[in-house]
Amino acid sequence: MTEPAAATDGVVIKRLEVDAADWVDAVTEARGAGFSFFDWLTAVDQTDLEESPGLDVVCHLLDPSTPKALRRIMIRTRVPDGESLASITGVFRGAAWHERETHEMFGLEFDGFDDGTGLGLRPLLLPDGFEGTPLRKSFVLAARASKPWPGGKEPGESEHTKPTGRRRVSAPGVPDPEWGPR
Amino acid sequence: MAGVELGMPRMGAAADLAPQPVKVVLNWGRRYSLWVFNFGLACCAIEFIAASMARHDFIRLGVIPFAPGPRQADLMVVSGTVTDKMAPAVRRLYDQMPEPKYVISFGACSNTGGPYWDSYCVTKGVDTVIPVDVYVPGCPPRPESLLQGIIRLQEKIAQESLSTKVIRAKYAGHRTATAGEVTRGLVTPPAADTVTRAEP
Repeated sequence: MTEPAAATDGVVIKRLEVDAADWVDAVTEARGAGFSFFDWLTAVDQTDLEESPGLDVVCHLLDPSTPKALRRIMIRTRVPDGESLASITGVFRGAAWHERETHEMFGLEFDGFDDGTGLGLRPLLLPDGFEGTPLRKSFVLAARASKPWPGGKEPGESEHTKPTGRRRVSAPGVPDPEWGPR
Repeated sequence: MAGVELGMPRMGAAADLAPQPVKVVLNWGRRYSLWVFNFGLACCAIEFIAASMARHDFIRLGVIPFAPGPRQADLMVVSGTVTDKMAPAVRRLYDQMPEPKYVISFGACSNTGGPYWDSYCVTKGVDTVIPVDVYVPGCPPRPESLLQGIIRLQEKIAQESLSTKVIRAKYAGHRTATAGEVTRGLVTPPAADTVTRAEP
């Protein structure tokens, strides 16, 4: 475990990287150490990394006992693609919504998820019948290829502006040229 | 839930057979008493609220922002980003409005999807869900733009000649539900001792 501390706007954020196997223990320990306010949990798609690709799951906790100078901690773990992570709903019940959202946006499974309803991980925000995991880098924004759009989609493409000489956008989600003109 | 059959929309014999001067008076009454229903979904709703306040004050144009709900409204202003999740609700509330009804699409997002046009969850314009009378461009449009859009809509209303035949052709063709079908039943609150947590 590494524990570098960084200061932003006078507030110290403690950062903690743990193995996926120690995830629940690390969160429980942080809660015992005073970080009893669960702020948020999400994932970062790092499946395109050369070294140990996977999903970074990040959890942000606050210590509410010191109102004028909140102590904060960010706990992070990397889950290899296709594997599941232990749920922290047993530690913070409020994490249930965040785990459901992470599940539908990234396709990450949480073992032992329990929000008191027994319904398990189910979509929270996406419309009914939505297929895919839209916050993954591999998710193609099909509207860019299928939606007719008047004018330029990127800077320099419109007939009213000069070409910028800027490199064409190759951000995650932009469809490849074989999807057709875009 | 069993739907209440309200029948096809009609204007009544007086409007159908009325001579032109009476129609002008009817249109005049309709255009200057637009009870508006604000479908505020994002930051454009703030501009709508600014337009309703003292400085811009669209009540002087006859737009009354006190409709208790869609059933009492003549005009719906969709201001903000319509998402695919929200689109059925927009449609449902539009279906609840009585005819004749008008829609102003306010801002780039509800016109076309705006800066989120390639998003996985944003509807590419509210006109894919409901028919729109006036589009107000801008991101967000200034309140003056909304005033201009309202004046455009009033010009449109002044020129229209609404008979039962016209109103059926205009609205009934894409009316997808009766008022009863878009009404939800009353939800009885759960007993206090069984509640452990709120379910979204």
